[in-house]
Amino acid sequence: MSLFDKFQNTATLYNSLLEETGRDPFGVSMDEMKGPTRAMVKGKEIVLAGTNNYLGLTYDDAAIAAAKEALEQSGTGTTGSRFANGTYAGHRQLEEDLAAFLGYKHCMVFSTGYQANLGAIAALAQPPHDVILIDADCHACIYDGCQLSGAETIRFRHNDPTSLDKRLSRLGDDVKGKLVCFEGMYSMFGDVAPVKELVEVAHKHGAYALLDEAHSFGVFGDHGRGVCERDGVLDDVDFYTGTFSKSLASIGGFVASNHPELEFLRFSSRPYMFTASPSPANIAAASAALARLKADDSMRTALWDNAKRVHAAFTQLGFDLAAPMSPVIAVKLSGREEAFMAWNFLMEHGVYVNLAIPPGTPNATSILRLSVSAAHTNEDLDAIINAYTALSELLSEKAAHA
Amino acid sequence: MSSIQEDDDLVFRKICSLIEPLNDKGAKLTRDTDLIADLEIDSVAVLDVVMDIEDNYDISIPVNTISEMKTIGELVDAIHAIKKEQS
Ligand SMILES: Cc1ncc(COP(=O)(O)O)c(C=O)c1O
Repeated sequence: MSLFDKFQNTATLYNSLLEETGRDPFGVSMDEMKGPTRAMVKGKEIVLAGTNNYLGLTYDDAAIAAAKEALEQSGTGTTGSRFANGTYAGHRQLEEDLAAFLGYKHCMVFSTGYQANLGAIAALAQPPHDVILIDADCHACIYDGCQLSGAETIRFRHNDPTSLDKRLSRLGDDVKGKLVCFEGMYSMFGDVAPVKELVEVAHKHGAYALLDEAHSFGVFGDHGRGVCERDGVLDDVDFYTGTFSKSLASIGGFVASNHPELEFLRFSSRPYMFTASPSPANIAAASAALARLKADDSMRTALWDNAKRVHAAFTQLGFDLAAPMSPVIAVKLSGREEAFMAWNFLMEHGVYVNLAIPPGTPNATSILRLSVSAAHTNEDLDAIINAYTALSELLSEKAAHA
Repeated sequence: MSSIQEDDDLVFRKICSLIEPLNDKGAKLTRDTDLIADLEIDSVAVLDVVMDIEDNYDISIPVNTISEMKTIGELVDAIHAIKKEQS
Protein backbone atom coordinates (compact mmCIF):
# COMPACT_ATOMS: atom_id res chain seq x y z
CA MET A 1 0.00 0.00 0.00
CA SER A 2 1.70 3.18 -1.10
CA LEU A 3 0.81 6.79 -0.46
CA PHE A 4 0.05 7.15 -4.13
CA ASP A 5 -2.40 4.27 -4.67
CA LYS A 6 -5.39 6.49 -4.01
CA PHE A 7 -4.65 8.60 -7.09
CA GLN A 8 -4.81 5.61 -9.39
CA ASN A 9 -8.43 5.83 -10.52
CA THR A 10 -8.29 9.53 -11.27
CA ALA A 11 -4.92 9.16 -12.96
CA THR A 12 -6.22 6.43 -15.28
CA LEU A 13 -9.20 8.53 -16.31
CA TYR A 14 -7.05 11.59 -16.77
CA ASN A 15 -4.44 9.79 -18.84
CA SER A 16 -6.99 8.18 -21.12
CA LEU A 17 -8.55 11.57 -21.84
CA LEU A 18 -5.12 13.02 -22.42
CA GLU A 19 -4.04 10.28 -24.81
CA GLU A 20 -7.01 10.86 -27.09
CA THR A 21 -6.00 14.39 -27.94
CA GLY A 22 -2.63 15.21 -26.45
CA ARG A 23 -4.19 18.13 -24.63
CA ASP A 24 -4.54 18.57 -20.89
CA PRO A 25 -7.67 20.55 -20.00
CA PHE A 26 -6.41 21.06 -16.45
CA GLY A 27 -2.91 22.09 -17.35
CA VAL A 28 -3.31 24.64 -20.11
CA SER A 29 -0.50 27.17 -20.15
CA MET A 30 -1.24 30.66 -21.39
CA ASP A 31 2.16 31.00 -23.03
CA GLU A 32 1.77 34.70 -23.65
CA MET A 33 -1.07 36.98 -22.57
CA LYS A 34 -2.36 39.32 -25.27
CA GLY A 35 -4.83 41.28 -23.19
CA PRO A 36 -7.85 40.56 -21.00
CA THR A 37 -9.50 38.23 -23.50
CA ARG A 38 -6.68 36.77 -25.61
CA ALA A 39 -3.67 34.55 -25.05
CA MET A 40 -1.19 32.55 -27.08
CA VAL A 41 -1.44 28.81 -26.40
CA LYS A 42 0.96 26.50 -28.22
CA GLY A 43 1.61 29.11 -30.89
CA LYS A 44 -2.05 29.88 -31.52
CA GLU A 45 -4.08 32.89 -30.41
CA ILE A 46 -7.03 31.84 -28.29
CA VAL A 47 -10.09 33.76 -27.13
CA LEU A 48 -10.37 33.42 -23.37
CA ALA A 49 -13.95 32.54 -22.51
CA GLY A 50 -13.36 30.64 -19.30
CA THR A 51 -12.04 33.20 -16.81
CA ASN A 52 -13.54 35.16 -13.96
CA ASN A 53 -12.57 38.50 -15.44
CA TYR A 54 -16.16 39.74 -15.34
CA LEU A 55 -15.42 43.46 -15.58
CA GLY A 56 -12.36 42.94 -17.77
CA LEU A 57 -10.11 45.02 -15.52
CA THR A 58 -6.92 42.93 -15.68
CA TYR A 59 -5.28 45.47 -18.01
CA ASP A 60 -6.98 48.58 -16.68
CA ASP A 61 -4.65 51.58 -17.04
CA ALA A 62 -5.44 53.01 -13.62
CA ALA A 63 -5.02 49.64 -11.89
CA ILE A 64 -1.69 48.98 -13.63
CA ALA A 65 -0.41 52.46 -12.75
CA ALA A 66 -1.47 52.05 -9.11
CA ALA A 67 0.14 48.61 -8.88
CA LYS A 68 3.38 49.90 -10.39
CA GLU A 69 3.51 52.79 -7.97
CA ALA A 70 2.87 50.52 -4.98
CA LEU A 71 5.50 48.11 -6.21
CA GLU A 72 8.12 50.85 -6.41
CA GLN A 73 7.02 52.49 -3.19
CA SER A 74 6.30 49.54 -0.92
CA GLY A 75 8.26 46.69 -2.44
CA THR A 76 7.52 43.31 -3.96
CA GLY A 77 6.11 41.53 -0.92
CA THR A 78 5.19 42.10 2.71
CA THR A 79 7.05 39.03 4.05
CA GLY A 80 4.58 38.69 6.88
CA SER A 81 0.99 38.12 7.90
CA ARG A 82 -1.69 40.69 8.60
CA PHE A 83 -1.28 39.77 12.28
CA ALA A 84 2.44 40.64 12.33
CA ASN A 85 4.32 42.91 9.95
CA GLY A 86 2.10 42.46 6.89
CA THR A 87 -0.47 45.21 7.42
CA TYR A 88 0.44 48.31 5.43
CA ALA A 89 -1.55 51.51 5.02
CA GLY A 90 -2.90 50.14 1.74
CA HIS A 91 -4.40 47.04 3.39
CA ARG A 92 -6.17 49.20 5.96
CA GLN A 93 -7.36 51.67 3.36
CA LEU A 94 -8.80 48.93 1.18
CA GLU A 95 -10.68 47.52 4.18
CA GLU A 96 -12.20 50.93 4.76
CA ASP A 97 -13.04 51.41 1.10
CA LEU A 98 -14.71 48.01 0.82
CA ALA A 99 -16.70 48.56 4.01
CA ALA A 100 -17.80 51.98 2.75
CA PHE A 101 -18.72 50.65 -0.69
CA LEU A 102 -20.83 47.83 0.75
CA GLY A 103 -22.22 49.89 3.63
CA TYR A 104 -20.82 47.69 6.39
CA LYS A 105 -19.00 48.90 9.47
CA HIS A 106 -16.19 46.34 9.42
CA CYS A 107 -14.04 44.60 6.86
CA MET A 108 -11.04 42.30 6.97
CA VAL A 109 -8.75 41.68 4.03
CA PHE A 110 -7.31 38.16 3.63
CA SER A 111 -4.68 36.84 1.23
CA THR A 112 -7.23 35.09 -1.01
CA GLY A 113 -10.99 34.58 -1.16
CA TYR A 114 -10.36 30.95 -0.32
CA GLN A 115 -8.73 31.99 2.91
CA ALA A 116 -11.41 34.57 3.67
CA ASN A 117 -14.09 31.86 3.71
CA LEU A 118 -11.83 29.38 5.46
CA GLY A 119 -10.87 31.98 8.04
CA ALA A 120 -14.37 33.29 8.70
CA ILE A 121 -16.09 29.91 8.96
CA ALA A 122 -13.40 28.19 11.02
CA ALA A 123 -13.19 31.04 13.50
CA LEU A 124 -16.92 31.68 13.81
CA ALA A 125 -18.19 28.13 14.24
CA GLN A 126 -16.57 25.87 16.78
CA PRO A 127 -17.32 22.38 18.04
CA PRO A 128 -19.08 21.00 19.97
CA HIS A 129 -21.98 23.43 20.28
CA ASP A 130 -22.01 25.36 16.99
CA VAL A 131 -23.54 24.03 13.79
CA ILE A 132 -22.86 25.06 10.20
CA LEU A 133 -25.47 24.68 7.47
CA ILE A 134 -24.22 24.89 3.92
CA ASP A 135 -25.84 24.91 0.52
CA ALA A 136 -25.04 21.55 -1.11
CA ASP A 137 -23.35 23.26 -4.07
CA CYS A 138 -21.08 25.54 -2.05
CA HIS A 139 -17.53 26.08 -3.25
CA ALA A 140 -14.70 23.89 -1.97
CA CYS A 141 -13.42 26.66 0.30
CA ILE A 142 -16.69 26.66 2.24
CA TYR A 143 -16.52 22.89 2.65
CA ASP A 144 -12.89 23.22 3.70
CA GLY A 145 -13.79 25.98 6.15
CA CYS A 146 -16.24 23.55 7.77
CA GLN A 147 -13.54 20.90 8.02
CA LEU A 148 -11.08 23.31 9.54
CA SER A 149 -13.76 24.45 11.98
CA GLY A 150 -14.60 20.90 12.99
CA ALA A 151 -18.15 21.98 13.90
CA GLU A 152 -21.06 19.76 12.93
CA THR A 153 -21.91 20.53 9.30
CA ILE A 154 -25.24 19.88 7.63
CA ARG A 155 -25.93 20.35 3.91
CA PHE A 156 -29.23 21.71 2.66
CA ARG A 157 -30.58 21.33 -0.87
CA HIS A 158 -29.14 23.75 -3.36
CA ASN A 159 -31.00 27.07 -3.46
CA ASP A 160 -33.83 25.62 -1.38
CA PRO A 161 -35.00 27.75 1.59
CA THR A 162 -37.53 25.09 2.63
CA SER A 163 -34.78 22.50 2.88
CA LEU A 164 -32.77 24.91 5.05
CA ASP A 165 -35.83 25.62 7.16
CA LYS A 166 -36.39 21.90 7.83
CA ARG A 167 -32.80 21.34 8.83
CA LEU A 168 -32.73 24.36 11.13
CA SER A 169 -35.99 23.18 12.75
CA ARG A 170 -34.49 19.77 13.46
CA LEU A 171 -31.56 21.13 15.48
CA GLY A 172 -31.52 20.23 19.16
CA ASP A 173 -31.69 22.71 22.04
CA ASP A 174 -28.05 22.20 22.94
CA VAL A 175 -26.96 23.96 19.75
CA LYS A 176 -25.54 27.40 20.51
CA GLY A 177 -24.34 29.22 17.39
CA LYS A 178 -25.76 28.53 13.93
CA LEU A 179 -24.01 29.67 10.78
CA VAL A 180 -25.71 29.36 7.39
CA CYS A 181 -23.41 29.56 4.33
CA PHE A 182 -24.40 30.07 0.73
CA GLU A 183 -23.33 32.00 -2.37
CA GLY A 184 -24.77 34.74 -4.56
CA MET A 185 -24.12 33.47 -8.08
CA TYR A 186 -22.73 29.94 -8.25
CA SER A 187 -19.53 29.66 -10.24
CA MET A 188 -20.13 26.48 -12.22
CA PHE A 189 -23.68 26.84 -13.52
CA GLY A 190 -24.12 30.59 -13.07
CA ASP A 191 -27.36 30.09 -11.19
CA VAL A 192 -28.36 32.63 -8.56
CA ALA A 193 -29.46 31.97 -4.98
CA PRO A 194 -32.76 33.14 -3.48
CA VAL A 195 -30.67 35.26 -1.12
CA LYS A 196 -33.57 37.13 0.48
CA GLU A 197 -35.45 33.95 1.38
CA LEU A 198 -32.35 32.18 2.67
CA VAL A 199 -31.44 35.13 4.90
CA GLU A 200 -35.00 35.28 6.21
CA VAL A 201 -35.07 31.57 7.04
CA ALA A 202 -31.68 31.81 8.76
CA HIS A 203 -32.77 34.73 10.91
CA LYS A 204 -36.12 33.15 11.75
CA HIS A 205 -34.12 30.42 13.49
CA GLY A 206 -31.66 32.77 15.14
CA ALA A 207 -28.88 31.73 12.76
CA TYR A 208 -26.25 33.98 11.17
CA ALA A 209 -26.07 34.25 7.38
CA LEU A 210 -22.70 34.10 5.62
CA LEU A 211 -22.99 34.99 1.94
CA ASP A 212 -20.11 34.47 -0.50
CA GLU A 213 -20.48 36.93 -3.36
CA ALA A 214 -17.20 35.86 -5.01
CA HIS A 215 -18.76 35.68 -8.48
CA SER A 216 -21.49 38.27 -8.00
CA PHE A 217 -19.56 41.21 -6.49
CA GLY A 218 -19.28 43.83 -9.24
CA VAL A 219 -21.76 41.88 -11.34
CA PHE A 220 -25.19 42.07 -9.65
CA GLY A 221 -27.05 44.97 -8.04
CA ASP A 222 -27.48 48.56 -9.17
CA HIS A 223 -24.05 49.46 -7.80
CA GLY A 224 -22.40 46.07 -8.26
CA ARG A 225 -22.68 45.16 -4.59
CA GLY A 226 -23.89 41.69 -5.37
CA VAL A 227 -27.03 39.57 -5.39
CA CYS A 228 -27.90 40.78 -1.88
CA GLU A 229 -28.03 44.34 -3.21
CA ARG A 230 -30.25 43.26 -6.08
CA ASP A 231 -32.55 41.50 -3.61
CA GLY A 232 -32.56 44.42 -1.18
CA VAL A 233 -31.06 42.51 1.76
CA LEU A 234 -27.51 43.84 1.82
CA ASP A 235 -28.01 45.09 5.39
CA ASP A 236 -29.38 41.78 6.59
CA VAL A 237 -26.41 39.63 5.63
CA ASP A 238 -24.30 38.93 8.71
CA PHE A 239 -21.05 38.09 6.95
CA TYR A 240 -20.36 39.09 3.36
CA THR A 241 -17.34 37.36 1.81
CA GLY A 242 -15.69 38.19 -1.47
CA THR A 243 -12.54 37.95 -3.52
CA PHE A 244 -10.27 40.28 -5.47
CA SER A 245 -9.54 37.53 -7.99
CA LYS A 246 -12.61 38.00 -10.18
CA SER A 247 -14.25 41.39 -10.79
CA LEU A 248 -11.39 43.22 -9.06
CA ALA A 249 -8.78 41.51 -11.24
CA SER A 250 -6.15 41.02 -8.53
CA ILE A 251 -5.56 38.52 -5.70
CA GLY A 252 -6.95 38.66 -2.19
CA GLY A 253 -10.21 38.25 -0.34
CA PHE A 254 -12.33 39.90 2.31
CA VAL A 255 -15.06 39.48 4.90
CA ALA A 256 -17.35 42.42 5.70
CA SER A 257 -19.91 42.67 8.48
CA ASN A 258 -21.86 45.01 10.70
CA HIS A 259 -21.02 42.88 13.73
CA PRO A 260 -18.22 44.60 15.66
CA GLU A 261 -17.11 41.12 16.76
CA LEU A 262 -15.70 40.61 13.26
CA GLU A 263 -12.58 42.33 14.61
CA PHE A 264 -12.01 39.36 16.96
CA LEU A 265 -11.17 37.30 13.90
CA ARG A 266 -7.94 39.25 13.58
CA PHE A 267 -6.54 37.24 16.47
CA SER A 268 -8.52 34.05 16.20
CA SER A 269 -8.65 33.21 12.50
CA ARG A 270 -5.73 31.02 11.57
CA PRO A 271 -5.96 31.60 7.78
CA TYR A 272 -5.66 35.31 8.56
CA MET A 273 -2.88 35.03 11.10
CA PHE A 274 -0.57 32.44 9.62
CA THR A 275 -0.06 33.38 6.00
CA ALA A 276 1.57 36.36 4.31
CA SER A 277 -0.67 39.31 3.47
CA PRO A 278 -1.36 40.27 -0.16
CA SER A 279 1.50 42.14 -1.82
CA PRO A 280 1.31 45.93 -2.04
CA ALA A 281 0.85 45.75 -5.81
CA ASN A 282 -2.10 43.33 -5.43
CA ILE A 283 -3.72 45.62 -2.89
CA ALA A 284 -3.17 48.72 -5.01
CA ALA A 285 -4.60 47.01 -8.10
CA ALA A 286 -7.67 45.85 -6.18
CA SER A 287 -8.17 49.35 -4.73
CA ALA A 288 -7.93 50.94 -8.15
CA ALA A 289 -10.31 48.36 -9.62
CA LEU A 290 -12.79 49.06 -6.83
CA ALA A 291 -12.58 52.77 -7.61
CA ARG A 292 -13.25 52.01 -11.29
CA LEU A 293 -16.18 49.78 -10.39
CA LYS A 294 -17.68 52.55 -8.26
CA ALA A 295 -17.19 55.26 -10.86
CA ASP A 296 -18.19 53.47 -14.02
CA ASP A 297 -21.36 51.42 -14.55
CA SER A 298 -20.62 50.94 -18.21
CA MET A 299 -18.46 47.86 -17.57
CA ARG A 300 -21.35 46.12 -15.86
CA THR A 301 -23.67 47.14 -18.69
CA ALA A 302 -21.23 45.76 -21.26
CA LEU A 303 -20.88 42.54 -19.27
CA TRP A 304 -24.62 41.93 -19.23
CA ASP A 305 -25.02 42.90 -22.89
CA ASN A 306 -22.36 40.35 -23.78
CA ALA A 307 -23.99 37.72 -21.57
CA LYS A 308 -27.34 38.31 -23.26
CA ARG A 309 -25.88 37.98 -26.71
CA VAL A 310 -24.05 34.71 -26.00
CA HIS A 311 -26.95 33.25 -24.05
CA ALA A 312 -29.40 34.03 -26.85
CA ALA A 313 -27.08 32.53 -29.47
CA PHE A 314 -26.57 29.33 -27.46
CA THR A 315 -30.28 29.00 -26.80
CA GLN A 316 -30.90 29.27 -30.50
CA LEU A 317 -28.26 26.64 -31.21
CA GLY A 318 -30.28 24.33 -28.98
CA PHE A 319 -27.65 23.75 -26.28
CA ASP A 320 -28.79 22.39 -22.94
CA LEU A 321 -27.94 25.33 -20.65
CA ALA A 322 -27.50 24.81 -16.93
CA ALA A 323 -29.15 28.03 -15.74
CA PRO A 324 -31.05 31.14 -16.82
CA MET A 325 -29.05 33.96 -18.44
CA SER A 326 -26.08 35.24 -16.42
CA PRO A 327 -22.40 35.97 -17.15
CA VAL A 328 -21.62 32.29 -16.57
CA ILE A 329 -23.08 30.19 -19.34
CA ALA A 330 -22.67 26.46 -18.81
CA VAL A 331 -23.51 23.96 -21.53
CA LYS A 332 -24.41 20.50 -20.26
CA LEU A 333 -23.06 17.50 -22.13
CA SER A 334 -23.89 13.83 -21.94
CA GLY A 335 -20.83 12.74 -19.99
CA ARG A 336 -17.13 13.11 -19.34
CA GLU A 337 -16.02 11.84 -22.75
CA GLU A 338 -18.34 14.09 -24.73
CA ALA A 339 -17.46 17.09 -22.59
CA PHE A 340 -13.76 16.45 -23.06
CA MET A 341 -14.17 16.02 -26.80
CA ALA A 342 -16.18 19.26 -26.99
CA TRP A 343 -13.65 21.13 -24.88
CA ASN A 344 -10.88 20.00 -27.15
CA PHE A 345 -12.89 20.88 -30.25
CA LEU A 346 -13.38 24.44 -28.97
CA MET A 347 -9.64 24.76 -28.27
CA GLU A 348 -8.95 23.69 -31.83
CA HIS A 349 -11.38 26.40 -32.91
CA GLY A 350 -9.52 29.00 -30.88
CA VAL A 351 -11.75 29.27 -27.81
CA TYR A 352 -10.78 28.43 -24.24
CA VAL A 353 -13.58 27.55 -21.80
CA ASN A 354 -13.52 25.63 -18.51
CA LEU A 355 -14.13 21.90 -18.57
CA ALA A 356 -15.90 20.70 -15.44
CA ILE A 357 -16.51 17.00 -14.91
CA PRO A 358 -17.54 14.95 -11.87
CA PRO A 359 -16.66 14.75 -9.05
CA GLY A 360 -16.83 18.38 -8.16
CA THR A 361 -19.80 19.30 -10.30
CA PRO A 362 -23.38 19.36 -9.03
CA ASN A 363 -25.46 16.25 -9.81
CA ALA A 364 -22.46 14.62 -11.51
CA THR A 365 -22.98 16.78 -14.60
CA SER A 366 -20.30 17.30 -17.22
CA ILE A 367 -20.24 20.88 -18.45
CA LEU A 368 -18.35 23.42 -20.47
CA ARG A 369 -18.34 26.58 -18.41
CA LEU A 370 -18.11 29.78 -20.37
CA SER A 371 -17.87 33.15 -18.68
CA VAL A 372 -18.26 36.43 -20.47
CA SER A 373 -16.30 39.54 -19.72
CA ALA A 374 -17.05 43.22 -20.17
CA ALA A 375 -13.78 43.24 -22.13
CA HIS A 376 -14.97 40.78 -24.77
CA THR A 377 -15.17 42.62 -28.07
CA ASN A 378 -17.75 41.86 -30.71
CA GLU A 379 -14.99 40.05 -32.56
CA ASP A 380 -14.32 37.88 -29.52
CA LEU A 381 -18.01 37.08 -29.21
CA ASP A 382 -18.24 36.27 -32.94
CA ALA A 383 -15.35 33.83 -32.55
CA ILE A 384 -17.00 32.22 -29.51
CA ILE A 385 -20.39 31.89 -31.18
CA ASN A 386 -18.86 30.56 -34.41
CA ALA A 387 -16.92 27.91 -32.52
CA TYR A 388 -20.03 26.83 -30.62
CA THR A 389 -22.03 26.77 -33.85
CA ALA A 390 -19.50 24.35 -35.33
CA LEU A 391 -19.63 22.33 -32.10
CA SER A 392 -23.40 22.10 -32.25
CA GLU A 393 -23.19 20.82 -35.83
CA LEU A 394 -20.67 18.20 -34.80
CA LEU A 395 -22.81 17.07 -31.87
CA SER A 396 -25.93 16.78 -34.05
CA GLU A 397 -23.97 14.76 -36.60
CA LYS A 398 -22.74 12.43 -33.88
CA ALA A 399 -26.25 12.09 -32.48
CA ALA A 400 -27.60 11.25 -35.95
CA HIS A 401 -25.01 8.47 -36.36
CA ALA A 402 -25.57 7.01 -32.93
CA MET B 1 -38.99 -11.19 13.15
CA SER B 2 -38.57 -8.57 15.88
CA SER B 3 -39.67 -5.04 15.17
CA ILE B 4 -36.10 -3.75 15.21
CA GLN B 5 -35.11 -6.24 12.58
CA GLU B 6 -38.14 -5.42 10.52
CA ASP B 7 -37.35 -1.74 10.72
CA ASP B 8 -33.75 -2.53 9.86
CA ASP B 9 -34.90 -4.31 6.79
CA LEU B 10 -37.12 -1.39 5.74
CA VAL B 11 -34.30 1.13 6.12
CA PHE B 12 -31.96 -1.19 4.25
CA ARG B 13 -34.41 -1.56 1.39
CA LYS B 14 -35.07 2.17 1.28
CA ILE B 15 -31.35 2.90 1.01
CA CYS B 16 -30.94 0.29 -1.71
CA SER B 17 -33.75 1.87 -3.71
CA LEU B 18 -32.02 5.25 -3.47
CA ILE B 19 -28.65 3.82 -4.46
CA GLU B 20 -29.90 1.58 -7.26
CA PRO B 21 -29.99 4.37 -9.91
CA LEU B 22 -26.26 4.92 -9.30
CA ASN B 23 -25.42 1.22 -9.38
CA ASP B 24 -24.14 1.30 -12.95
CA LYS B 25 -22.32 -2.00 -12.62
CA GLY B 26 -25.41 -3.81 -11.36
CA ALA B 27 -23.58 -5.01 -8.25
CA LYS B 28 -25.58 -6.96 -5.67
CA LEU B 29 -26.34 -4.65 -2.75
CA THR B 30 -25.72 -6.07 0.72
CA ARG B 31 -24.99 -4.59 4.13
CA ASP B 32 -21.30 -5.01 3.35
CA THR B 33 -21.37 -3.16 0.04
CA ASP B 34 -18.87 -0.28 0.15
CA LEU B 35 -20.36 2.73 -1.60
CA ILE B 36 -17.16 4.17 -2.95
CA ALA B 37 -14.95 1.08 -3.37
CA ASP B 38 -17.59 -1.36 -4.66
CA LEU B 39 -20.02 0.90 -6.47
CA GLU B 40 -17.55 3.59 -7.52
CA ILE B 41 -20.03 6.27 -6.53
CA ASP B 42 -18.15 9.55 -6.17
CA SER B 43 -17.99 11.32 -2.85
CA VAL B 44 -20.37 14.10 -3.91
CA ALA B 45 -22.95 11.57 -5.10
CA VAL B 46 -22.74 9.84 -1.71
CA LEU B 47 -23.58 13.16 -0.07
CA ASP B 48 -26.57 13.50 -2.39
CA VAL B 49 -27.86 10.02 -1.58
CA VAL B 50 -27.56 10.92 2.09
CA MET B 51 -29.60 14.07 1.41
CA ASP B 52 -32.40 11.90 0.01
CA ILE B 53 -32.20 9.68 3.08
CA GLU B 54 -32.38 12.74 5.34
CA ASP B 55 -35.51 13.99 3.67
CA ASN B 56 -37.07 10.56 3.63
CA TYR B 57 -36.62 10.04 7.39
CA ASP B 58 -36.80 13.70 8.39
CA ILE B 59 -33.42 13.56 10.11
CA SER B 60 -30.14 15.43 9.64
CA ILE B 61 -26.96 13.49 9.05
CA PRO B 62 -23.91 15.71 9.52
CA VAL B 63 -21.29 15.75 6.75
CA ASN B 64 -18.70 15.04 9.46
CA THR B 65 -20.09 11.55 10.06
CA ILE B 66 -20.74 10.66 6.42
CA SER B 67 -17.04 10.28 5.68
CA GLU B 68 -16.90 7.64 8.41
CA MET B 69 -19.66 5.56 6.82
CA LYS B 70 -18.28 3.30 4.14
CA THR B 71 -20.84 0.51 3.76
CA ILE B 72 -24.59 0.35 3.35
CA GLY B 73 -24.77 -1.43 6.73
CA GLU B 74 -22.97 1.45 8.46
CA LEU B 75 -25.39 3.86 6.85
CA VAL B 76 -28.36 1.81 8.11
CA ASP B 77 -26.93 1.78 11.63
CA ALA B 78 -26.23 5.52 11.55
CA ILE B 79 -29.80 6.23 10.50
CA HIS B 80 -31.14 4.19 13.41
CA ALA B 81 -28.87 6.00 15.85
CA ILE B 82 -29.81 9.43 14.52
CA LYS B 83 -33.51 8.61 14.34
CA LYS B 84 -33.40 7.68 17.99
CA GLU B 85 -31.45 10.78 18.94
CA GLN B 86 -33.50 13.26 16.93
CA SER B 87 -36.96 11.91 17.75
C1 LIG C 1 -17.58 30.81 -4.61
C2 LIG C 1 -16.12 31.05 -4.47
N1 LIG C 1 -15.63 31.48 -3.31
C3 LIG C 1 -14.32 31.72 -3.14
C4 LIG C 1 -13.43 31.52 -4.16
C5 LIG C 1 -11.97 31.72 -3.90
O1 LIG C 1 -11.48 32.90 -4.38
P1 LIG C 1 -9.91 33.15 -4.50
O2 LIG C 1 -9.55 32.88 -5.89
O3 LIG C 1 -9.75 34.58 -4.13
O4 LIG C 1 -9.22 32.25 -3.54
C6 LIG C 1 -13.90 31.13 -5.41
C7 LIG C 1 -13.00 31.02 -6.57
O5 LIG C 1 -12.40 30.08 -6.89
C8 LIG C 1 -15.27 30.85 -5.56
O6 LIG C 1 -15.74 30.39 -6.73
